[in-house]
Amino acid sequence: MFKNYLKTAWRNLINTKFYSALNIVGLTIGLAVGMLILIWVQDELSYDRFHSRGDSIFKVNASIGTGASKQVWGGVPGPVAAFALKEVPGVVSAVRVVTSYDYSVFRYKDKLLKEDFGKASYVDDAFFTMFDFKLLKGNVKTPFPNDQSIVITESTAKRYFGNEDPIGKILTGDSKDPYTVSGVLADFPANSSIGGDILFSMNVKKKQYTGKDFWKSMDQDWGNYYTTTFLQVRPDASVKAVGDKLTEIHMKNQPGIKPTDGVFQLQALKDIHLYNPDGTSAGIQIVKIFSIVAVLILLIACINYINLSTARSMLRSKEVSVRKIIGAERSQLFMQFIIETVLCFSIALVLAFSLIYAVMPVYNSISGKQMHFDLFNANVWQVIVLTIIATLVASSIYPALLLSSFKPINALKGKVAGAGNATFRKILVVCQFAFSVGLIIGTLIINKQLQYIHSIQLGYDKEHVFSLPMRAMQDHYEAIKAELLSHTEIKGISTGNTSVIIGNGSTSDTDWDGKASDVSLLISPFDMDKDFIGMFKLKFAAGTGFTGVKADSAHYILNETAVKLAGIKDPIGKRFKLHNVDGTIIGVVKDFHFASLKQTIEPAIFSYRPSSWQMFVKTTGKDAPTAIKLVEKYWKQYNANFPYEYSFLDDAYNEMYRSEQHTSTLFNVFAGIAIFISCLGLFGLATYTAQIKVKEIGIRKVLGASVGNITTMLSRDFLLLVLLAIVIASPIAWYAMNKWLMDYAYRAEINWWLIAVAGGGAIIIAFATISFQAVKAALANPVKSLRSE
Amino acid sequence: MIKISNLEKFYRTEEVETIALNKLSMEVATGEFVAIMGPSGCGKSTLLNILGMLDDPDAGSYVFNEIEVAHFNERKRADLRKHNIGFVFQSFNLIDELTVFENVELPLIYTGVAASERVKRVEEVLDKMQIMHRRNHYPQQLSGGQQQRVAIARAVVNKPKLILADEPTGNLDSSNGNDVMELLTDLNEQGTTIIMVTHSEHDARYSHRIIRLLDGQTVMENIMV
Repeated sequence: MFKNYLKTAWRNLINTKFYSALNIVGLTIGLAVGMLILIWVQDELSYDRFHSRGDSIFKVNASIGTGASKQVWGGVPGPVAAFALKEVPGVVSAVRVVTSYDYSVFRYKDKLLKEDFGKASYVDDAFFTMFDFKLLKGNVKTPFPNDQSIVITESTAKRYFGNEDPIGKILTGDSKDPYTVSGVLADFPANSSIGGDILFSMNVKKKQYTGKDFWKSMDQDWGNYYTTTFLQVRPDASVKAVGDKLTEIHMKNQPGIKPTDGVFQLQALKDIHLYNPDGTSAGIQIVKIFSIVAVLILLIACINYINLSTARSMLRSKEVSVRKIIGAERSQLFMQFIIETVLCFSIALVLAFSLIYAVMPVYNSISGKQMHFDLFNANVWQVIVLTIIATLVASSIYPALLLSSFKPINALKGKVAGAGNATFRKILVVCQFAFSVGLIIGTLIINKQLQYIHSIQLGYDKEHVFSLPMRAMQDHYEAIKAELLSHTEIKGISTGNTSVIIGNGSTSDTDWDGKASDVSLLISPFDMDKDFIGMFKLKFAAGTGFTGVKADSAHYILNETAVKLAGIKDPIGKRFKLHNVDGTIIGVVKDFHFASLKQTIEPAIFSYRPSSWQMFVKTTGKDAPTAIKLVEKYWKQYNANFPYEYSFLDDAYNEMYRSEQHTSTLFNVFAGIAIFISCLGLFGLATYTAQIKVKEIGIRKVLGASVGNITTMLSRDFLLLVLLAIVIASPIAWYAMNKWLMDYAYRAEINWWLIAVAGGGAIIIAFATISFQAVKAALANPVKSLRSE
Repeated sequence: MIKISNLEKFYRTEEVETIALNKLSMEVATGEFVAIMGPSGCGKSTLLNILGMLDDPDAGSYVFNEIEVAHFNERKRADLRKHNIGFVFQSFNLIDELTVFENVELPLIYTGVAASERVKRVEEVLDKMQIMHRRNHYPQQLSGGQQQRVAIARAVVNKPKLILADEPTGNLDSSNGNDVMELLTDLNEQGTTIIMVTHSEHDARYSHRIIRLLDGQTVMENIMV
């Protein structure tokens, strides 16, 4: 019986090549894209979930301030871990991870390699026992036998030592400090939030406290929120109680701190990838949106299948009735049609697999991930099985029920209930186009927001500016600057500890005249020379800038927001204290965006430093290569042991919105595919309609209808459906995208014409799809069609 | 074998009600060959559909093999039908996607006959219909006469007690038509009851008895000698 079903299904597929091709192409693309998106979603959801103790590991975050100025930081002070272990019940283990910026190059023999910033960290020993990162070589209990030991990842070991045994080998940091490799760690999984190449002992960091500064030791430094601290707590411990206890300890140990500054909260390890420390979306929203998009695309593909198979069911009514008359039971026919769907799906699935394999490299590059489509991977099968079962059920049951329900006698005469009744199909077409239009509107709005980000007046000029760390050049800054400025290719030079694009943390260690006791102002400090403000074309709202005089070391410049939030009236000449330095406000700069546009502008304060670690060079687009070469000359002279490195601020700026760029590209692709699959279905339906109306068209033509009349007649109904879809989708898409935009403090406006463009586009595409068939039908010779009847 | 009494069937559209069968009564004995004749719209096909349990009557009684089936639901009718009744249509109604062999095999599949037994029985009946050499052809590749032989082969492969034929020669030339009538006569002689709807007086002469219908009622019965 099964063989017979399969045989019939196969022959049906072959006999109706046109519709089979439409069905299979639609399904293939739908399944492939649906699965690609779901693989992406699965990858996002898999972050940090591979630790066996993962459920009981938490990251400590710190909440600072109250109300509008409240911030939640992902870093906490150094003592938190130590106190948590000693004094907080329920804490089993504590690990701190601190990014090291001490070295940028390492040397092994004559091999000198650059290490990217952020790829080296100091870690506590428990790092190797709390997490499941695998130490391939070395001792888990004593990973760092002494403070000059380092643990490196497998691929780092390969880079430096090739196939030699890395243990005992010496890597020299910045050509001065030798470190002995004491362990080799398996590379961090791509879906781990914790990563890096080189791990130092936390003792190295601890020793950087000399005891002479304000904060005597790492375990007493309650003022700097720079450690990422993980706690493993007993399963029965209350996470909130642990946080509260830590806050209480903080209050006790840092006298004078306000109860609202330094409240500790625990965040589950498995949440840190998708949620910000303050609980807002760091990606979970995109995961949700993409999941919905995947479901929509799969639904669109299913709808195609359902529409085409039910529309064409009339053509199969004879076969169904004959089978019934000679003894087929409804369940047997039902099975037959299910098997036809299964066959169609199986072919589409095989093609979809091939398609996924083929596009995976491109997909990885647009999504910025390293995903693999491995048919031997159980996770991949989770996605496949889920997708297939859901789509198969969605698309097989209705056609099978409909076809098997035909009354044999009526069906033989061509009277088929349900098949002629096209309401259901119409509803499905409306759904399909509503999904597509929704996706198009989403795409347009995302693109518009990105455009807006790029066009927004940032309040400074970052064009053609590149930055580099000065290293040894710092001691000769003035001379180098003077020499470089003599070249016409170089338009300006300045120095500062942080670029204008993104600030460098914030501090509440401030005071000013008239500061209320309950006010805490979180302010971002910028150190700069006298040319910084001019070079970046920051505008003054009041006062003047630094001039390089000695008195500038006690001068401050605030931004407008700082003045406003501090409540300082007529700020010029007023006293302001940052950290331990009392000074005078000499200027107020207009607000500028020194963070992602997702955030509102925060208070900023400029201090004068004649020379900082970083140099900014302004050039022009045309002269940039020469300017880079000119600077390189000095680099080679002073920093011979380091590879030359520089980066353009424009690139750094774009980097901030990379995830949006990825999202936008993916959205463009998905929306395009959704509309393509919908049009495949529409094309099939239009063809079918033209086919069954062949006689009507013939009669109308004989009676004098023009090609235009016929085309209109055939297209009108479909276009009405698309129009209805637009009406339904627009407000929903508008609402959803408005919600997405809420993430941004500065957002593009959603204009009515965006929706008009999306709708108009859908109508044009739909019309082009239908009219091809409609015109073809209208042009056919009526004599032929009437005779064939 | 068949006893119907006061059978009624109406067709309703939104505004018009048409009476197809009007308190019709008749009997057909096992082994009989009955022809039903009458002008278009007299209710012949409706009667055949009800006899074949493809349709149900609106009123009256239909006893098949001493079982009252007038009120049977579709499932029960289908079950009774597939074991007892074979159909032959004017337009053959073969399934285009299946070969000659597969078309004939289909009823056996639906009644759950084992594969080896199916091959045996299909070959036997194809042989008898003299279309064995066409077993792997598709219906479109056959002449009308050959298609009707396949249809008859399919109707008898399950060894039904009753064959219902709806103008079996309507689409055939006279030579092929005669062949088909000979085949039906053979089957009848081997014990199968046959009820045939026809417009052709010539074909009707192959039967034992002609029932003439007009407006859903029996108007005349001719016994053939």
